[in-house]
Amino acid sequence: MRRKRLPPGQKGADARGITSCAATGQVMSVLLWLKPGERTFARGGIHPAEHKELTATCAIESFVPSSVTVPVSQSLGPAAKPLVEKKDLVKRGDVIAEAPDGLRIHAPISGIVKNVQREPHPVLVHDTAITILAKPTDDEPEFPEQPGWMELSREVMLEKIKHGGLVGLGGAAFPTYRKLTLPPDAKIDTLLINGSECEPYLTCDYRLMLEDAEKVVLGAWTIARMIGVNRCLIGVEDNKQPAVEALRAAIERLGIESLPFPVAMEVVLTETKYPQGAERQLIEALTGRVVPRRGLPLQVGIVVQNVATAYACLEAIRNDKPVIDRVVTVSGLGIAQPKNLRVPIGTSIAALLEHCGGFNGEVVKVLAGGPMMGRALADLNVPVVKGTSGLLFLTRSETNLDRYGACIGCGECLDVCPLGLEPNKVSQYVEWGRPLETEVYGVLDCFECGCCSYVCPSNRPLVQFMQVAKTAYRNQARSRQ
Amino acid sequence: MSTDSLHLSYGPHIRRGRTTAEIMWLVNISLMPALIWAWIVFGWQVVAITLSSILGCMVAEHLACRLTKIPSTIRDGSVVCTGILLAFTLPPALPLWMPFVGALLGVLLAKSVFGGLGYNIFNIALIARAIMMATFPVEMTTRWLAPGLIGASQVDAFTGATPLAVMKAATQSGEALQLTGVPGDMNPWLSFFLGLQSGSIGEVSVLFVVLGAAFLLWHRIIKLYIPLSVLAGAALMAPYSDAPLLYMLSGGLWLGAFFMATDYVTSPSTPRGQIVFGLGIGLLTGIIRNWGGYPEGICYAILLMNLLVPALEEWFRPRRVADRGTPS
Ligand code: SF4
Ligand code: SF4
Repeated sequence: MRRKRLPPGQKGADARGITSCAATGQVMSVLLWLKPGERTFARGGIHPAEHKELTATCAIESFVPSSVTVPVSQSLGPAAKPLVEKKDLVKRGDVIAEAPDGLRIHAPISGIVKNVQREPHPVLVHDTAITILAKPTDDEPEFPEQPGWMELSREVMLEKIKHGGLVGLGGAAFPTYRKLTLPPDAKIDTLLINGSECEPYLTCDYRLMLEDAEKVVLGAWTIARMIGVNRCLIGVEDNKQPAVEALRAAIERLGIESLPFPVAMEVVLTETKYPQGAERQLIEALTGRVVPRRGLPLQVGIVVQNVATAYACLEAIRNDKPVIDRVVTVSGLGIAQPKNLRVPIGTSIAALLEHCGGFNGEVVKVLAGGPMMGRALADLNVPVVKGTSGLLFLTRSETNLDRYGACIGCGECLDVCPLGLEPNKVSQYVEWGRPLETEVYGVLDCFECGCCSYVCPSNRPLVQFMQVAKTAYRNQARSRQ
Repeated sequence: MSTDSLHLSYGPHIRRGRTTAEIMWLVNISLMPALIWAWIVFGWQVVAITLSSILGCMVAEHLACRLTKIPSTIRDGSVVCTGILLAFTLPPALPLWMPFVGALLGVLLAKSVFGGLGYNIFNIALIARAIMMATFPVEMTTRWLAPGLIGASQVDAFTGATPLAVMKAATQSGEALQLTGVPGDMNPWLSFFLGLQSGSIGEVSVLFVVLGAAFLLWHRIIKLYIPLSVLAGAALMAPYSDAPLLYMLSGGLWLGAFFMATDYVTSPSTPRGQIVFGLGIGLLTGIIRNWGGYPEGICYAILLMNLLVPALEEWFRPRRVADRGTPS
């Protein structure tokens, strides 16, 4: 079990018997392919090459482009309506669009509105977007700390989260206020903060935890406050030891347990394994609870938020700063200078590419997000949106462009599926043109983590087969209505 | 900045990197110890038979891919693997054209007509062997060689039967067991383990079959569910045989357990299905060996259990994690 730790390496800090039982573990795992017992989800998962060394030592830098293009759809839910017009002057933090549910979008930079029109979008392909040309004013908003923020009521805090346009920054972009507005009968006992960052290449959460541990911890506290729970676990994979220590020190320093609203906060190390950062897997890893089929974490008493979201919650509540920027990892062998950058929402990929020194060799794929679940981009003029955690420039050697073959029945996909599904069967039924017979193989449970496709020796696009089958079920349900 | 060269496939965008071809070539490598040992024990004709068998498989595969216009799978090593495995089940003194014909027919009838790699129902090598048993019954059961480490003259060393056949005859007639071909003063158990007795090319030595299997285990290509349950099933039937230990140490059982029964395509892919599959093979092997018409039962035991694979996969599905869901 090879395990790369992120620099600066902390040697010996986390031996935890891994080496001592390595020999026995190796023998056992060879005999029956058992995995050594560590804190993680029970079944499946993979450990792809991490490639985090490209950016793990890159401190977060700021970069502000000369213009931004802010799409009005950046989260799950109803699209926002633009509130500005061409030639309007806006200031950093001004509301420029609002959705019917009150979720707002703000100007990431001060300047002049150049256009409100359809533009390329990383997820939706095209979407209405507001383009702002940078034109700094004399009194740039600073977002200082608001006195008495800790005493705010839960309702006020929630309101700030909603108006601040907070969405899950881990990638899912689910509106945070909706996740934190609990049904009255919910019995929540634990908040989980997701610091796993299990996708290869990405280090933006790692850098955030390392450089701004106090803000992450305080952010977690605000979330605990909003949902009214006194127990918080921060799950971090054991390849991010320095972040773990930074967080532990911050918890100590801040005395989270003796704040007006005390929270018992603990940083929990987990085995480095993808998809540890997926909600259900993290819950299972940290608490052993299993969310029922098509159920919500609420049902097992848990709310999960990502570390970057926690950080943004603190900024929204303490500084009244809406989500106008985010940290993005720019990495891959195809980029000249890999970096971690804090950029305004709406910064174009092309501008980031230029800022990072341009292409390095033949780039065959550009991804928004990680290599497991990220999306391939066709157009480099798409902007960074709230859910963009990384931009990867991959060369031929790093990615996979092979054609696929028949299922050879190796069973690897069954071994790695964290949900115990049968992607091989689903793929075969879809190939036979019988997608509506795949429910028994679990297709509707699948959350498209991609572990199955990753290991398939025949390179079968199993996730896409799953998607095809799901679409068939969705269409069937629709035609029945 | 040109974006024409950007590819747009869906995730995941990275891949573990072990391909079907790599797996197949690793399996081929794992078969080398047994082949080299057979060469040492029986001489050059085993190499010739193996090459002939591989050639038959390749010709059939090439023809089939041409005719059906599917991309050629000849390079991925799977046909070579079938060829070697078939050769391993053959008597070492077989005329060289027979393996070629057997391999050709086996691949065409058991693989190509089902749709090629991944779609066959039966183990191809074993079907080829079964075809040969039906087509060349005399040669397939008499062309044995007595072992003679390199240099010993083997030309005149034809023997009429393998130790298993002798054992079976002894069991049925109730006479004391008299093995032939075993080097005079050697413990018969040891000779079985090392492969110093007459028998099929790749089946004679438990030791070298297991060495190859260990290589596959190390590379995590096979798991032990199937082999262990085959051996366990066979062990359950061993007491009914005349010489239980020799019965367990006959190479065919081990080759079948580790290399034939574990064939991905024709075995269940779920752990519980694999265990039942293996037990079934072991038990059937014992039944055929002890009471059936053939001394060597594992070939037919595996083919019979191949038939059950689709059912086993339906009956023994993996447990889905969400079923454990526990609202607290
Ligand atoms: S993508 Fe779906 S089927 Fe494949 S491993 Fe993940 S959950 Fe299982
Ligand atoms: S990993 Fe690929 S080849 Fe293996 S069983 Fe699954 S789909 Fe088939």
